[in-house]
Amino acid sequence: MDREHHEMSRSRLEEIIEEHCRRGRWALIPLIQEIQEENGYIDPAVIPVIAEKLKIFPSAVQGVISFYAQLYTEPRGRNTIRLCRGTACHVRGGKTILKLIKERLDIEEGETTADLEYTLETVACLGVCALAPSMMINQQVFGRMNPKKVGQILKRKGEDHEPA
Amino acid sequence: MQAVTLTINQQEVSGPPGQTILELARESGIAIPTLCHHALLSPLGGCRICIVENEANGALLASCVTAIAPGMIINTRSPRVQEHRRMILKMMLASHPDSCLVCDKGNRCELRQLAAELGIGLIELDRIPQAAVTEELNPFLVRDGSKCILCARCIRACQELVVVGALDYFGRGFKTKAATLFQAPLENSACTFCGTCVALCPTGALMEKEPLYRGSVGSAVESICPYCSCGCSISLEVKDNRVVRVMPGKDPGAPESLCVKGSYGCDFIHSPERLTVPLIREGEGFREASWKEALAVAAAALQGIRKDQGAESLAFFGSANCTNEENYLFQRFTRTVLRTNNLDNGSSLYYAAARRGFHEVVGFPTVTYPLGDLALADLIIVIGADPTASAPLVDYGIRRAVTAGGAKLIVIDPRETGLAFFAHRRLQPAVGTDLALLKAMAAVIIEENLTDREFIARKTENYRALLRSLEGFSLESAAAATGISAAQIVDAARLYATADKGAIVFGTGIMQQARGVEAVKALLNLALLTGHIWREGGGIWALLRECNAQGAGDMGMLPNFLPGRQDLQDPPARERFEARWRCTLPTAPGKGAAEMITAAEKGEIRGMIVAGENPAAAFPRSSRVKEALGGLDFLLVLDIFMTDTAGLADVILPAASFAEKEGAFTGLDGRVRQIRRAVDPPGECRPDWQIILELAAAMDHPLPFSSPGQIRKEIEDLIPFYRDEGSEVNLEGDAFWESGPDRKPPLKRFPAFTAIGDLLPPPAPNPDYPFILLAESTLFHAGSGSRSARSPRLSRFTPHYCFVKMNRADARRLALQSGDVVAIISENGRLTAVVSCDGALPEGVLSLPRSRIDHPLAALFSSPVEEDALSSALKKCYVRIERSGNDGSGAS
Repeated sequence: MDREHHEMSRSRLEEIIEEHCRRGRWALIPLIQEIQEENGYIDPAVIPVIAEKLKIFPSAVQGVISFYAQLYTEPRGRNTIRLCRGTACHVRGGKTILKLIKERLDIEEGETTADLEYTLETVACLGVCALAPSMMINQQVFGRMNPKKVGQILKRKGEDHEPA
Repeated sequence: MQAVTLTINQQEVSGPPGQTILELARESGIAIPTLCHHALLSPLGGCRICIVENEANGALLASCVTAIAPGMIINTRSPRVQEHRRMILKMMLASHPDSCLVCDKGNRCELRQLAAELGIGLIELDRIPQAAVTEELNPFLVRDGSKCILCARCIRACQELVVVGALDYFGRGFKTKAATLFQAPLENSACTFCGTCVALCPTGALMEKEPLYRGSVGSAVESICPYCSCGCSISLEVKDNRVVRVMPGKDPGAPESLCVKGSYGCDFIHSPERLTVPLIREGEGFREASWKEALAVAAAALQGIRKDQGAESLAFFGSANCTNEENYLFQRFTRTVLRTNNLDNGSSLYYAAARRGFHEVVGFPTVTYPLGDLALADLIIVIGADPTASAPLVDYGIRRAVTAGGAKLIVIDPRETGLAFFAHRRLQPAVGTDLALLKAMAAVIIEENLTDREFIARKTENYRALLRSLEGFSLESAAAATGISAAQIVDAARLYATADKGAIVFGTGIMQQARGVEAVKALLNLALLTGHIWREGGGIWALLRECNAQGAGDMGMLPNFLPGRQDLQDPPARERFEARWRCTLPTAPGKGAAEMITAAEKGEIRGMIVAGENPAAAFPRSSRVKEALGGLDFLLVLDIFMTDTAGLADVILPAASFAEKEGAFTGLDGRVRQIRRAVDPPGECRPDWQIILELAAAMDHPLPFSSPGQIRKEIEDLIPFYRDEGSEVNLEGDAFWESGPDRKPPLKRFPAFTAIGDLLPPPAPNPDYPFILLAESTLFHAGSGSRSARSPRLSRFTPHYCFVKMNRADARRLALQSGDVVAIISENGRLTAVVSCDGALPEGVLSLPRSRIDHPLAALFSSPVEEDALSSALKKCYVRIERSGNDGSGAS
């Protein structure tokens, strides 16, 4: 609970746990989903608190969280970039776009920028091969990407993308 | 329920609905290979090696998780099944290192056995090597992730058998592994190093760390763990006359779980510090001597003292770590050769109150139900005990009863104990107020008519006295004294009284207090009021520290009891022994442990024998004890190590350890279990029984034994409840015990309720010593540490400093924080310790874990004035805290 970027208060956390804990161990997944929804991610420091309340071993709570790709234990950026790594995008230079984004944001795949603006992910195919190479930021699709567009899109800091 | 009939390998078989194919096949003598399956663990169906074919529909089924169904035509070894098994195993081997030649798991590896069985030569698949991430910072076990096949035996063992839950799967897909919380190294996790996962791991992924690479083990000897009194069966694996590995024993009743002391602490037997030759004092030091000379010197000295000063100036302090046969011999030797009743054993330091409480209430030392019965309880009260540290097997049993059996758990302790996580109710009475709490609970049970009236009427006595003692008792006063609300007390009392099978587990927190006998009797009152005392799954259990605390008392190694807990002052009992031993017995009441020391100080006791105990370190106010023992005319010590007490001796005789002799220990639940000789004693060491026989002969008074077997024969003749057949004494044609195949001590009368006196107001706080210091048991340390501190692995894991736990508010007030070095000062001594802040400890209470042998906690405690106070003097004392270095900033 001492982690600096853990925004959720202890009392709010306990409130959420209290709402769910009647269902015992079956409450675990809905409960951590709600924490993530409210907090953006699941601070590992809450694991022992949940475990104590639901009487599940902390290691088992961690096991469930680590199993699901949609559950995050690190803070997420306000915007999620999903870059397509499908075949069509690949032959049209998707790999270079990925390299440029990484350089520009100074993060690797799966990581989040220090200012919590962007999280970078790659996906197998966005299904818009006609626009290759393509990427999404939150719900907005950007097609026919090129190095210039990378700079333009990611430069506009402060301007919000369409919400996640 | 109708049996399900099906065909397995052309053979018609049937089993109960719900049974798995694997279980039924094995019952029918049909072998199916398995890897992730283990009889003690819940089925997982993870590895699929156990697949079988249902020829009725062509389905391939994991037999360990598939229930039998009518009409199945199962083939366990069709070519198709065998081909799939081979492929599954090849895929496991594809990501397994080829290091079998140098892997210490060697021929014990189940993966390798299975590959040989299925005839796998070439793996034929692209290899996916896993990074060899070995974890081996702790001294006990090594984890090598590259050899892991993800069968989850370790995970299930940790969660289901010892219920610690240090491990679970982490991640998924290729990246899956077994990990601790936050992927911390084991020593920073919940792991207690019990070794269960190592015992169950099918591959070399989990192995005991030391000593590695010693080749195949020659033989395994079944024995009993020499540490606490849980009586775990262990298997000593021997090579070249050395115990190289300890594994859980093959006892059918034993779960495959030991604790860190059983699994890794027995290496003290090969410590280079073992005494190996007899030693005779010469000036300030010792010189080596022959057995003949040492025994002659000892015999002459003891005979001389007896002749000049009388037999009452001799005493024998025996050991709760020696076998039944040895303790029996010690007391027979003391009574018939030395001719005095001045004898006692080390368990009196903590067990005296329970022994007396039980004796006076029910007429025998403890209620003895087998430990496994705890699993049947639906409510367990744990009071003044931390079995997680002091009796791990009991701890596992309680955890399993709660997690698997659905039992409710009430934990009553001023401190946060290891079971707190599992507790449904936690009561934290102020230190020393258990009596008020227990009395209040009894009052609630009677007030609300929750008693077992039929049981009380038919099988108990003295109920009226209890009722009278509760007249005018107010719940509010108990709430005020204990700091627990009246509602919580009522709630706990109702839970206990309305349970079907309520068990009580208590420890030194109850026994080691000023009114310990009454506290034990107050617990017995509760068990009698509700009738839980006699129900299987109910009952009441005292946690004892040493492996044979129960047996030493049963054998009569007590000043006023003959073997079989028979009263020394009871003429018919005495005559029985006199007839067998062909002599008259001394009748003068004997001196117990505390009185021996006081008498030695006064010069009334001039000669002492101490066998396998270390009073100079274990008794309160050690400096005084050392002076008393040092001032004796003659002190003979039998031990395996040069203890503080041995250092004061005139003659030291080197004894054999538990692994080097035969005999039996009696566990805390009354089960008598054999220990067996696994290796030869080092040097010239001899078993204690042999030494005492030789000493008796040297004193011209030979005793008629030449082996432990002969002594056991006499024990069985003279102690009815040590005979194999039951010895139930029926009371008015109605057996007291509901059931139980085990030995039960005879019951001479019905149990009686005890009127509990009023709680005295707490002593006025002494401004000089404002803190209450409590001694705390630790998992990695046993007794005074003679053995555990000489176990290379246990001692390496013990912190290199002694630390004291303190409430944060107290620490703030003294301007202290975790890591500060302080002096703890009592009226009797001082100790340097490192502060460790503990949020769960009440204000004004300090807790000091027993850990370092070079920081004898006992030095702080005040010396007892009377026998009954001996044990209470060792739990709690009043202290002040000063910042070390006397810089003036620390105040009390």
